[in-house]
Amino acid sequence: MNRKLIGVTALLLSIPFYAQADAVSDLEAEYQAQGGTNFNATAGEALWNKEFIDAKKGDKRSCTKCHTADLKKPGKHARTGKAIEPMAPTVNPKRLTEVKQIKKWFVRNCKWTLGRECTAQEKGDFLAYLKNL
Amino acid sequence: MTQRKRKGGVRETKVRVWDIPIRLFHWTLASCFVIAWFTLDNRYLDVHIFAGYLMGGLILFRLLWGFIGGPYARFRDFAFNYSKVQNYLKDVLNKHPPRFLGHNPAGSWAIYLLLGLGLSVVITGLLTFGGEERQGPLAGLLNFPQGRFAHELHEWLSWLMLGVVIIHVMGILVESMLHRENLVVSMLTGFKTSAAGAISTLSHWKIGATMLVAIITAGLFWFQGHLTETPEQLYQPFHGPALPDNSLWREECGACHLAFHPSLLPARSWRAMMQKQASHFGEDLFLEQDAVNKIETFLVENAAEQGLTEAAWKINRSIPQTEILLRITETPYWIKKHQEISDAVWEHPKVNGKIDCAACHIDAAAGTFEDAAMHLPDDVEATATSE
Repeated sequence: MNRKLIGVTALLLSIPFYAQADAVSDLEAEYQAQGGTNFNATAGEALWNKEFIDAKKGDKRSCTKCHTADLKKPGKHARTGKAIEPMAPTVNPKRLTEVKQIKKWFVRNCKWTLGRECTAQEKGDFLAYLKNL
Repeated sequence: MTQRKRKGGVRETKVRVWDIPIRLFHWTLASCFVIAWFTLDNRYLDVHIFAGYLMGGLILFRLLWGFIGGPYARFRDFAFNYSKVQNYLKDVLNKHPPRFLGHNPAGSWAIYLLLGLGLSVVITGLLTFGGEERQGPLAGLLNFPQGRFAHELHEWLSWLMLGVVIIHVMGILVESMLHRENLVVSMLTGFKTSAAGAISTLSHWKIGATMLVAIITAGLFWFQGHLTETPEQLYQPFHGPALPDNSLWREECGACHLAFHPSLLPARSWRAMMQKQASHFGEDLFLEQDAVNKIETFLVENAAEQGLTEAAWKINRSIPQTEILLRITETPYWIKKHQEISDAVWEHPKVNGKIDCAACHIDAAAGTFEDAAMHLPDDVEATATSE
């Protein structure tokens, strides 16, 4: 009885990790199908820290503006001040677990930060960088 | 009883005219009036309301004491008709008014007026509190428009009462000068001097002590939340009704900013906002159509028109029907309520600009925006100079 309980608990606890692996590998396959190759964490990190000038307002934007450079710490929404939970999956196991969520935030945040949607290659690089944090 | 001689050689004694309950009533009532006058700002609503309850209680006590109290406190001691008042005022103009040990005819009318006005102010206050704030014993008795009417009546009666208070104080000063006695000190000590033989009232100190204990106990009970609050768990004196909630709305809208309650904008604004989700204040929300529909339904069903809160009702009536505003901060009611806030406050790091209602409204997430749930962060309070 007791052993069974431990087994079930362990199984339940491991769900987030499977989910993450699933969501990320599903998306990586999708981005590869769209033309992305050799996803690279270093390229992802460089893009994460890169500054873009907004075409309309002229202000500097980057992923770090809201998420900060340390992804294990909470961030702060640049426009609303709302607290953002840490990005690193080791600190925040909910990250990178849902395909729908990842896609939504890629659209929203690429458009605001880069002024356009990210390419399949860029998104793959981002995932490569983020998934091992 | 001490005896002393006055000018002219008449033997006079010290007489206790005002018993302790009367003096306590007088000065506490005066304090309530002043406190209520200086706590008009919504942030101090709980203090204002307490002053009102206390005022009501004191007046009820005074009415009772007018029948069972000491000789000078009883109404029959100062039941003067109009012609007596007229004659007295004529004598005042001739600078030779007769002296009354208790209330004089003019003063008695000021007292009746103040008691009547005080009670009316308390009652209209309760009606306002129940109609506009949906709080107190008369919560919900009046609807918002009626509550607003009661509010205006409450204000007019208060001004009228202030007028009578000023006349009352001037009368005290004039009579003190004409009779060369200090009536203010008499109301503090209870004593006046008089020809021998005048009756002294009992001090009734037990009743006075009971009143004092009751007032202090009520105060501690009413304000205990302020004593036990912590910076993390701020005290909210009044809680509004639990408003309709929706998990999808809270999750999606609340991901980037405070999930602004539907009651803060009219339905037409919410429809326009959800239709333009691809350019939501410069962001593409990229929500699935199903989510858009569900959120829009929730927003429209509980929009400002439904009048779920005082803020909802007031925001809605402030917007011209032809206008479709997308920002709550563009609505005339919002602008009016926040016009006194200086730029320094908005730019304060703890305030985050006009988008973060929760910086100062403790109940922003609940959407109730109770008047007394406003709380400027402590170091912001120092920045606020305009209030």
